[in-house]
Amino acid sequence: MKPRVLVAMSGGVDSSVAAALLHDQGYDVVGVAMRLTPDSTATGLSRRGTCCSHDDFEDARRVAERMKFPFYVVDLRADFASRVMENFVSEYLHGRTPNPCVMCNREIKFDRLWQRAQAIQADFVATGHYARIAQAQDGSYRLCRAVDITKDQTYFLFNLGQKELSRTLFPLGAMNKAEVRDIARDLKLTNADKPESQEICFVPNGDYARFVEEKAARVGLRPGRILDDNGAELARHDGVHHFTIGQRRGLGVATGEPLYVRSINPDTGDVTISRRECLSAKGLKARQVNMVWPRREPTFEADVRIRYRHHGIPSTVRLLDEPGFAEVRFDGDGPAVSPGQACVFYRGDEVLGGGFIERALEAQD
Amino acid sequence: MRYAYRFNWYRTVRVYLDHNAGAPIRPQVRDAIADYLSRATHGNPSSVHRSGQEARRELEQARERVASLIGAHTRTIVFTSGGTESNNLAIFGAIGAAPKRHRIVTTAIEHSSLLTPLIDLESRGYEIIRVKPDREGLIDPAAVAEQINDETSVVSIGLANAEVGSIQKIGPIAESAANAGALVHLDAAQAAGRIPLDVSKLRCDLMTLSAHKLGGIEGSGALFLRRGARIVPTILGGPQESGLRAGTPNLIGAIAFGVAAEVSAANLDEESERLRHLSQQLLDRLSAAIPGLAVNGPSQDRLPNTLNLTFPGVLGETLLIAFDLEGIEVSMGSACAAGAVEPSHVLLAMGRSAAAARSSLRLSLGWNTTAEEIAFAGEIIPRVWQRIAEAEPIPTTEAA
Repeated sequence: MKPRVLVAMSGGVDSSVAAALLHDQGYDVVGVAMRLTPDSTATGLSRRGTCCSHDDFEDARRVAERMKFPFYVVDLRADFASRVMENFVSEYLHGRTPNPCVMCNREIKFDRLWQRAQAIQADFVATGHYARIAQAQDGSYRLCRAVDITKDQTYFLFNLGQKELSRTLFPLGAMNKAEVRDIARDLKLTNADKPESQEICFVPNGDYARFVEEKAARVGLRPGRILDDNGAELARHDGVHHFTIGQRRGLGVATGEPLYVRSINPDTGDVTISRRECLSAKGLKARQVNMVWPRREPTFEADVRIRYRHHGIPSTVRLLDEPGFAEVRFDGDGPAVSPGQACVFYRGDEVLGGGFIERALEAQD
Repeated sequence: MRYAYRFNWYRTVRVYLDHNAGAPIRPQVRDAIADYLSRATHGNPSSVHRSGQEARRELEQARERVASLIGAHTRTIVFTSGGTESNNLAIFGAIGAAPKRHRIVTTAIEHSSLLTPLIDLESRGYEIIRVKPDREGLIDPAAVAEQINDETSVVSIGLANAEVGSIQKIGPIAESAANAGALVHLDAAQAAGRIPLDVSKLRCDLMTLSAHKLGGIEGSGALFLRRGARIVPTILGGPQESGLRAGTPNLIGAIAFGVAAEVSAANLDEESERLRHLSQQLLDRLSAAIPGLAVNGPSQDRLPNTLNLTFPGVLGETLLIAFDLEGIEVSMGSACAAGAVEPSHVLLAMGRSAAAARSSLRLSLGWNTTAEEIAFAGEIIPRVWQRIAEAEPIPTTEAA
């Protein structure tokens, strides 16, 4: 019997092509599109219903019809709201800068969807992520950067463990975007030439602050002061969720030199801004650390990426006795780090592991 | 080809248990359509020439056949584009004919083609009374009757519920409506061709019928309008359909509807009994294999073909997909609720929890369902349920 693979299809080019490739390779493909955001009809009674009408998943359907594999839309809105969106809001209210794509991968695609995959007797889950899974000689799995380094998405996937890697397929990992677009054109996908969106799917206009305000009870917002390095008040703000460490724009403070958010205190609401050179961190403490790398060396060298588009900084990573925590020491002065963002440990192309930034390490740490 | 299987994962069998969403086209219907299409000329039923007259004769023959399904006079049948249009015509036609009356009495378990127009009217200032069902999905007719007053333009009730199959008793409603000068509209899209219907016994003024639930084709339906009852048209134009539904009629749809109605009526009692027996067999088999399985709907006054079941500890959505991959086609409820996957408003109104509603599926049998298929479904369904309960458990739903 052909191995069955549940392919998470967004309706976009990448996952549509991924499904088509797997089908060509002889897998028994079942395409599944996830309805995650609450924009679809709330009651089934709305005039602009998505039922029986064109929807975001047309390209996915088109591939399924062309390739003759089954395709379904599943409703994971409740899980997405409780496991991803709530976390997103809560992180901002606590003065951190969340990465919902990482959470979505961990909580939805490689957890909730995997359950669904087992329910339909699928052997694998596949996505259109640009990442590669390699098997080492000892049989263990390695998560490696995509061949198309400009598209690499391993930063969002550090939460995969050996078990997940053993049953996950990333068919686009060895391709570059141009090849994928060519295949998409061959498949006559309507989105083949559509520019990619960099936005968070559930904040379509990019206005995170407003989204947080709508979701959080008014009492949850934390207004406060904007302070300079000496603790002098420069201005007031209406919530710490407006700020990210390292942010320069939108501070509402006019000064002669460019100033950046250096620290956010969610308890007092104080946001301290400073000159760029004062933001530099010595390292960071990470929580919820997951090691992809099966060799559990307590201390190791790695290039650590602290943002998606970050090139990585050579560091020494030490796994702390406290489970799930690690300390990353940059070799020399590092950039500003934003609590809540993912920090991912690389060695060459390989992802060793990663976690979420708890806080920056100061000189005295 | 509506039932051509698009995907090649169709390998062994397809057991179609979704007749309440739409029945496969009956062979007699297919033949009648083929016969019509093979003719040399096709006229407009309104035309004077011979081809037009032939078309008109076909249309009137179809009307007669549909009328006899519900014991009505031929002239009382208005062809429409389907159940949804019929329901809309009934409601908007009734309020248009009684502009001073601003109250409509209905139930909490109606199909979206009634629910949605009524929500719209509510937002325009109409008073909509929605009588709640009991736990079995039955409406107390006395409770409906006492809501009818001289402000009421129309009382609109689904005769048989699409999701749970409960068959309503009309009892005192007709008299109460007659006294108040209100019209009684029955949505019989699910009931027609499945249980015997007689508009004189039911004493309704309006009745919605749908062709494709009987094995006709989609895009075809009818509204019965008792002689003497008055509604206004909602689609304006030519004088077709006694001025109540402008536009050249869908002749193929009407022909198909007529044949489907005739075939359904021909062996209604026998077929009802056969389906009742098959669904009971399936239910017995599933109840024995799935601890905690619950039936939603009454045990007596239920459509013989409809089983709405709550599968404990699993999501209906996953079951639906897994069944489909095994060749068994069922549904979450009414077809248009399926896209949204919201918990069924019918089950919620019957007092089920949202969790129980999400664990529920509708299995609806019909003319092409065989004993072998039911045996197959009885084998596969418990196995799939077991697998999903292990792979994707959800908190146990309350016993319904």
